[in-house]
Amino acid sequence: MQMHAAQFPFLSTILLICACGLALVLVLPKNSNAAVKWVSAACSAAALALSVFLFVAYDRGAGGMQFVERLDWIPSMGISYLNGIDGFAAPMLLLTGIVFFTGVVSMWELDYRVKEFFALFILLVLGVYGMFMALDLFFIFVWFDVSLLPMYLLIVIWGSSDREYGAMKLTLYLLAGSALILPGIIYLAAVSGLETFSVPALLENASFSGFEQKTAFLLFYIGFGILAGVWPFHSWSPTGHVAAPTAVSMLHAGVLMKIGAFGILRIGMFLCPAGWMYWSPLMAVLAVIGIVYGVMVGLRQTDLKFVIGYSSVSHMGIVGLGFATMTVDGVNGAVFQMFAHGIMTALFFSAVGHIYDRTHTREIGELGGLSAVMPAASSYFIIAALAGIGVPGLASFWAELLVFIAAFRVYPALAVISVGVLVVNALFMLRVVRNTCFGPLSPRWAHLKDMRFAMGIPRAVLAAAIVFFGLMPFLMYDLIQTASVPLIHSLGPAIGHAGPEIVETLLTKLMSVWP
Amino acid sequence: MLFQPVPEISLYLAWTAAVVPLAAFGAILVFFRRLPKTAAAISVAAAAVSLICAVCLLVRHWNMDAPLQSAVTWMASGEFEIAVGVLLDPLSLVMLVIVASIAFLVQVYSLGYMAGDAGYGRYFGFMSLFSWAMFGLVLAPNIVQVFIFWELVGLSSYLLIGFWFEKFSATRAGKKAFIMTRAGDTLFFWGWLILLVWGGTLSILELNSGAHGLSSAMTTAAALLVFGGIMGKSAQFPLMTWLPDAMEGPTPVSALLHSATMVAAGVFLMARLFGFFSQSDLAMAAAMAVGTLSMLLSATMAMVSRDIKQVWAYSTISQLGFMIMALAAGGYAAGIFHLTTHAGFKALLFLCAGVLIHAHETNDMFELGRAGARRMKAAMVCMTAGALALAGIWPFSGFFSKEAVMGALAGADNRLWLFCGLAGVFLTAHYTFRLIFIILFPRTEAAGGPGARHGSVSANAVMYAVLGLLTVFTLAAGFFAQGFEDFIRIHGGHAQEGHLASLAHIASPVLAVAGIVAAWMQFGSNASDQVGFAEKIGPVGRLFARRWYLDHVYAWITGRLLDRGIAEGCRRFENKVIEGALTMITGGVVFFGRMAAGWQRAMIQPKLMAAFAVMFGLILILLVV
Repeated sequence: MQMHAAQFPFLSTILLICACGLALVLVLPKNSNAAVKWVSAACSAAALALSVFLFVAYDRGAGGMQFVERLDWIPSMGISYLNGIDGFAAPMLLLTGIVFFTGVVSMWELDYRVKEFFALFILLVLGVYGMFMALDLFFIFVWFDVSLLPMYLLIVIWGSSDREYGAMKLTLYLLAGSALILPGIIYLAAVSGLETFSVPALLENASFSGFEQKTAFLLFYIGFGILAGVWPFHSWSPTGHVAAPTAVSMLHAGVLMKIGAFGILRIGMFLCPAGWMYWSPLMAVLAVIGIVYGVMVGLRQTDLKFVIGYSSVSHMGIVGLGFATMTVDGVNGAVFQMFAHGIMTALFFSAVGHIYDRTHTREIGELGGLSAVMPAASSYFIIAALAGIGVPGLASFWAELLVFIAAFRVYPALAVISVGVLVVNALFMLRVVRNTCFGPLSPRWAHLKDMRFAMGIPRAVLAAAIVFFGLMPFLMYDLIQTASVPLIHSLGPAIGHAGPEIVETLLTKLMSVWP
Repeated sequence: MLFQPVPEISLYLAWTAAVVPLAAFGAILVFFRRLPKTAAAISVAAAAVSLICAVCLLVRHWNMDAPLQSAVTWMASGEFEIAVGVLLDPLSLVMLVIVASIAFLVQVYSLGYMAGDAGYGRYFGFMSLFSWAMFGLVLAPNIVQVFIFWELVGLSSYLLIGFWFEKFSATRAGKKAFIMTRAGDTLFFWGWLILLVWGGTLSILELNSGAHGLSSAMTTAAALLVFGGIMGKSAQFPLMTWLPDAMEGPTPVSALLHSATMVAAGVFLMARLFGFFSQSDLAMAAAMAVGTLSMLLSATMAMVSRDIKQVWAYSTISQLGFMIMALAAGGYAAGIFHLTTHAGFKALLFLCAGVLIHAHETNDMFELGRAGARRMKAAMVCMTAGALALAGIWPFSGFFSKEAVMGALAGADNRLWLFCGLAGVFLTAHYTFRLIFIILFPRTEAAGGPGARHGSVSANAVMYAVLGLLTVFTLAAGFFAQGFEDFIRIHGGHAQEGHLASLAHIASPVLAVAGIVAAWMQFGSNASDQVGFAEKIGPVGRLFARRWYLDHVYAWITGRLLDRGIAEGCRRFENKVIEGALTMITGGVVFFGRMAAGWQRAMIQPKLMAAFAVMFGLILILLVV
């Protein structure tokens, strides 16, 4: 892996901005709600600006790890503060920046324990940012846990329906995940015999045996997979989404689930390619079960947030399917899907949050006709739903397209199933849209006002991102490509492609019966 | 070399034609939604620009001898890349002009028709989106681009059918249209995945020339799957019931949807991949069967419907069936010519229906007749002209294209198709003139009444001008049949004139006239009771009116099988098995915790003693050392 040292520590600057924002929020006097909000907004805007800058400034010709910064932390144990981004991490930083900023602005109307909320929220984002840029196993784990723990408080204090259960379930699930990841990390570091936790160093120098890779990969796959909503470890996510307040749901479904997938990618797939290869059929099957299952369970839900939660399970299944193909197209599509789903689901929760704030219900049966009184809010909801269906011109289309193409090369039967489920997915999304936004307006909601211009900003930013990358997918793929091509090439030509032979013989036989 | 590069000027023209509507859509949705007049002006201007570009292209390339193509890579990943580009050949040029002119005319008509609607700006935005999607589809040089714009066409028709979103039925119809076409699209997606992954190419010209790596069995499979998409888009059996429901949208939308865009896209794709489809006899036979079945079924449905727009909708399915039959029989030029003439007269029929509906605020043909719709002379004359074209009467355009279709069918291997086609001609004439006669010769007519209201919501001069233009087209288009065929036939298939051709050419107009006479006897003449022969036999009438129970099948599939079957099963699995396992695990942890705690409490004294003993020992050691 090529490493390009940074001229200026941009990555640490992002962390520093968040840390300063956190400190400022903490020292502000207790009742200065407006000040807290403005500080958080400024902090998130700065982080977003820097993320956009990094996304643009990443040198796509050179590839490799860029903006690398390094500081020995505990030299005796080989732990170093090592940050860097590649074509996988840069889109994730951009995603985090966008969701952070829009999340803060979406919570502008919060008036209960404002200071504590924003402090925890920034802490959470700090962990997420750190996780995406860290290249040291030890720090990856630390940031991972930093991003999990504030979640419990955020849900328990500011959450809605059934929040204690949701928060508890979520925390326990995720901690169970980290209980698998930590042994995995220690195991890898120990068997390498190199006394280092640095991912590039391990990648360069360590040679893990097949057994070691298979064991470690399984630990990472389940550990991070819980966070990524892999079936059957997904059930924390819909419950958690429902219980969480708007911005937390946005961050949670938008970014935290991506941390899981990113962990599988960064640690599992980089360090244990043989394990990846060994377990990939299992990954593919679980992913397709998730795709089908999420849609099917979602079809029967009546709570808007449950609906979106289960659709997230389905969409994250597409990420898993992309990873399981072990091809450039599949990984490209999966990473783009992580980005696209993050933005889309953030927009979804943001729109639902707005609707919930006004109507105090998320029961689909009670809503209806909201387009008439809240055209802007409903439009954003509809855009998110269309992105969820995978309409061309919106970002997720390109991701799904590539994943399905790659999957069809490797697992034709599974690809056929998941493409088939797209119809049900469309049915499911459009039904929700029809029952909430369209139809006759119930007199209960006739008094509602549409969102103010300021409240429209976060939704507009998210919708613009969906459309922008939907029209110009090459901006994203050129970047992801710089990381996925070396990763797949390093695997060698060992991957077998399922050819069309079986299907073909079957069809020929069928044809011969035909007169 | 399969193609020449596109000359620069033509390339600019093609891109302009395609992109200007997109720009209009973006501008309207972001800035001008609240400014209806500006929005409409932008949209109509964009449509006009597209039309001018399309006509320029057609004129420039009237004498082309090889297809022109150029493309740029839009997105690349690994070995796979998506190219967007332009493919200019007679088919795409003709289709471009059809789409551009119908879109322009319909938008101009809508200026008057939609006036005063709350969503005026939004309406024109969606119209522009629709035009963009259609242009992208028509110009596409490869299947991925076709698929992308194919989906966008579906999206824009969803938005336009459900345009009046306060009406529950309208949003339901929009959803139904989207889902049913999407079901077809899934097959299409599978089909082109096979083409891409196993065939190794998605270029339309390569596929048509047979330069792909598929065995004949896989070619058939891919062709059948792609045809699945065509069935969805063109509302062919069994994915046909969304189309009559789509009448919930504003009438100009129906006109656009039914003549040149949405449903025409399916037939267009079949013509586009004509060379590929011809490589598989089985796929062509299947297409022929589906086309014939749809043509006859929808004709029977049209015979009993009372809703004027629905009759035209059924007739659209039926005419699309004719087009697919013609293509499947190898009549490339005939199919496309019928598509062209149909675009003109079907738009005319819908727009006339729109004028009547606007004035009388009802869709029911009997009520329209009673309300005195016949007194709106201009609209009635135009509509009758359209109906004559639909029935296939000389000298209207439908006559010529229907003769061409019959000629193609006569060349088919099996005579059954020709006889079905001729039966279809009779039924078409019959149901078309059933509608005309019911409106023209109402049994009881309200004097004054709603007819007098005519002035208040009347169509304006511009709307009538559009109707006039379309009528002129309907009258004139037929006489260009030969020139059209020579132009389109450059690389397409060639319909063989079988020995049955002369019979078909004579039988078809005779049957059309017979259909009209039959309609006159049942609905026109004073002695008639205005009850069709199908309705007189109860069960048959019900079967037709309930669309051969197709909707019941779909309701069963979505309601029973999917909703209460699979989905409910999955939900129970989630609640029982996954949550259950979780409860078991947490329960186990709590149980063992309690046990350990009990053990702890039970042993408290010995343990304290041990602890003290250890501490005591340690202190002792410390003191000693």
